[in-house]
Amino acid sequence: MKNFLFYVFKILVLTFVLMFIMDKVYSYAFRQSNKRSKISFIYNSPPINYDVVILGSSRANNHFVTKMFTDKGLKTFNFGMQGSKLFESDLVLKLLLEKKNKIKNVIVDVDVTLKSENKSDGTFLKFLPYFNESYVIREHFKELDDFNSFYYIPFYRYLRFDSKIGFREMLFSVLNKKSNEIDNGGYGPLPENNGNLNTEVLDFQPHRNRYYEEIKKICKVNNINLIAIMTPMCEKAIVNNYFKKVNQLYPEIYNYENIVAEDKYFSSCGHMNDMGAKVFTAKILNDFFSYECN
Amino acid sequence: MFFNSLAFAIFLPIVFFLYWFVFNKTKSTQNALLIVASYYFYSCWDWRFLFLLVFSTFLDYFTGIQIEKSNSEKGRKFWFWLSISVNLGFLGIFKYYNFFVSSFAEMFTSFGFKVSPFLLNVILPVGISFYTFHGLSYVIDIYYKRIKAEYNFIDYSLFVSYFPLLVAGPIERATHLLPQVKIKREFNLEKAKEGVYQIVWGLVKKVVIADTCAVYANAIFDHYPSMNSFSLIMGAIYFAFQIYGDFSGYSDIALGVSKLFGLDLLRNFNYPYFSRDIAEFWRRWHISLSSWFRDYLYIPLGGSKGGLWMKIRNTFIIFIVSGFWHGANWTYIVWGFINAVYFLPLLLSNSNRNNMDPIILKWNFDSVKVLFSILTTFLLTCIAWVFFRARTITDAVLYLKRIFTNGEFSPQYLDNERYNYELLLMIGLFILVEWNNKTKVEPISGKRSWLKMALAIMAIIAFGTYSDYKEFIYFQF
Repeated sequence: MKNFLFYVFKILVLTFVLMFIMDKVYSYAFRQSNKRSKISFIYNSPPINYDVVILGSSRANNHFVTKMFTDKGLKTFNFGMQGSKLFESDLVLKLLLEKKNKIKNVIVDVDVTLKSENKSDGTFLKFLPYFNESYVIREHFKELDDFNSFYYIPFYRYLRFDSKIGFREMLFSVLNKKSNEIDNGGYGPLPENNGNLNTEVLDFQPHRNRYYEEIKKICKVNNINLIAIMTPMCEKAIVNNYFKKVNQLYPEIYNYENIVAEDKYFSSCGHMNDMGAKVFTAKILNDFFSYECN
Repeated sequence: MFFNSLAFAIFLPIVFFLYWFVFNKTKSTQNALLIVASYYFYSCWDWRFLFLLVFSTFLDYFTGIQIEKSNSEKGRKFWFWLSISVNLGFLGIFKYYNFFVSSFAEMFTSFGFKVSPFLLNVILPVGISFYTFHGLSYVIDIYYKRIKAEYNFIDYSLFVSYFPLLVAGPIERATHLLPQVKIKREFNLEKAKEGVYQIVWGLVKKVVIADTCAVYANAIFDHYPSMNSFSLIMGAIYFAFQIYGDFSGYSDIALGVSKLFGLDLLRNFNYPYFSRDIAEFWRRWHISLSSWFRDYLYIPLGGSKGGLWMKIRNTFIIFIVSGFWHGANWTYIVWGFINAVYFLPLLLSNSNRNNMDPIILKWNFDSVKVLFSILTTFLLTCIAWVFFRARTITDAVLYLKRIFTNGEFSPQYLDNERYNYELLLMIGLFILVEWNNKTKVEPISGKRSWLKMALAIMAIIAFGTYSDYKEFIYFQF
């Protein structure tokens, strides 16, 4: 029996050693490409002097046309991500600064994301390959339920989210295979709608959000001009005064809810198509960056 | 509590420790501990069904004794049929009642009669098909005087409820397991190590092969109308490996865990995809169920003795019942029927026992023939698996039809954001490992076992699917 227990102990040690080695190998592999995701682009690229950095959810990702900024001579990248929340937007900004990027302006889409302070399950895991190396990621994730497992169990994070940051993604990082996430300067154009836009109902309340407030604080400390914006919704949206309520909480957020409204400019009720995004971006450039373009 | 869960990883060492260090004085204490552990294990799913399990155990224990004690044939028959009808009654109510009632209702509706069937709102108790079959075989064996009734309730309960086999088999026989539980087990290092090898290999099959294939198979089967021919073929192959990895992986873990407690269970799989014909496939796939149906249904019906029609009838009965055992759905019945159609030519030409010898390949034409027959058999099973996996028979037929009518054999990007061909290399490696170890129960033991163990653990860690967690398929049966 003693021999068997020692045998099992050796297997457990072997498992732990393998997990430790593979954790190191995977983490190293994820450092090899800046083309896999917006987070890998931040983490694995040399520092950049940005004129404009765009943050937010898909409503930032699909609404701000990066090329229109760069055509005006503004070094810009759209870091908006599908499904992300202010939890991730805040962390993107912190990570950009940790990696010594210089930023003049931050545009952040703050509207429907004010409904909660939770993380986005589909987005936060993209930061995990850099968890051990990045102080700001570790600090930001400190309140997560899985924090101790991420911190103390080697390879746990890759195992837990294997479909997104598992072997396949690790292999593509090593091969430096490009993903379309960073195409078009991070902007994700959407197609036209098929003539049948579904109604979107904003039947929730906006709340004060610690991550938005952190973004404000970081911008102030680092002398970054913050432009917080509520982006358009289609005419069919039943907004229940949601945007007005947001302005009651945060008067500094610019309300662009109705700047683009016609159905032809939308792909879905909450997301403009490429044509709508261009109209909207032109308006933003005109309102906030006309002086820089002169 | 699943074998591949954290809860089981905690449960198993605790039971192991108590078994060998605290309750190791007599076989009674060992058995008592295993009973308590098994009932706890079962109640983790739904404690309410524990009563059903205990009742079923008591029924067979009691009727078994009554059959043996009865002086008259009438008495023996009474207790025998009581046990059979109550056991099958439970199975019928929980598993088949809704199916039969709604099938009849549909039939009446198609004749123009409007029927509102009374359906039961019950969930299927985990493992009911398995423990019912344990009990049935025990009672049938006593009735036919093949074994003596067991008078020790604890020993008998352990035979029915032993946790490694409780929810998904293998379906044990009283003649095999009961003699083992009647003696005190002594710890055997080699057996325990074999158990560990089998557990680890079972985990490879489950989390690396089955769960990964499931991600692709689901993406293809769930969207088959938009898939091209190549994707549909790959979908059928992925499902074939999913179900094999899932069920044989479970069986390997069950056998391995049991060895840790000094008890040997019946082997359930013997590399079925290396079969040279369908008859051989059924001697290698879910062996404990196939042999159960052979011994308790096929042979009592007359087996392959009798006239031509008798042979045909018995073949169809055993395969259709076997399909129906898997679940109350027409797709399983058709799956059984198709296997019967595959089997029939072998039976009629008396060649169903042709491939009893081990497979040996050499550099000659015979080996090419063997490889071709293995490939053909695998292809046939894949076609049958489409019916097993599809939601309806119509879906299965359309799926197969599209393979032949679409005609596109190009890589296709699936809904799971993966390409249809991505698992080919992994499956190829898996086949290679199994082929090279087909004379052994698992590939880890033997020379350089530490290296093979390290590779297996690495595969579990690196290639396992964890975020898209899948239950063992056979738990639903």
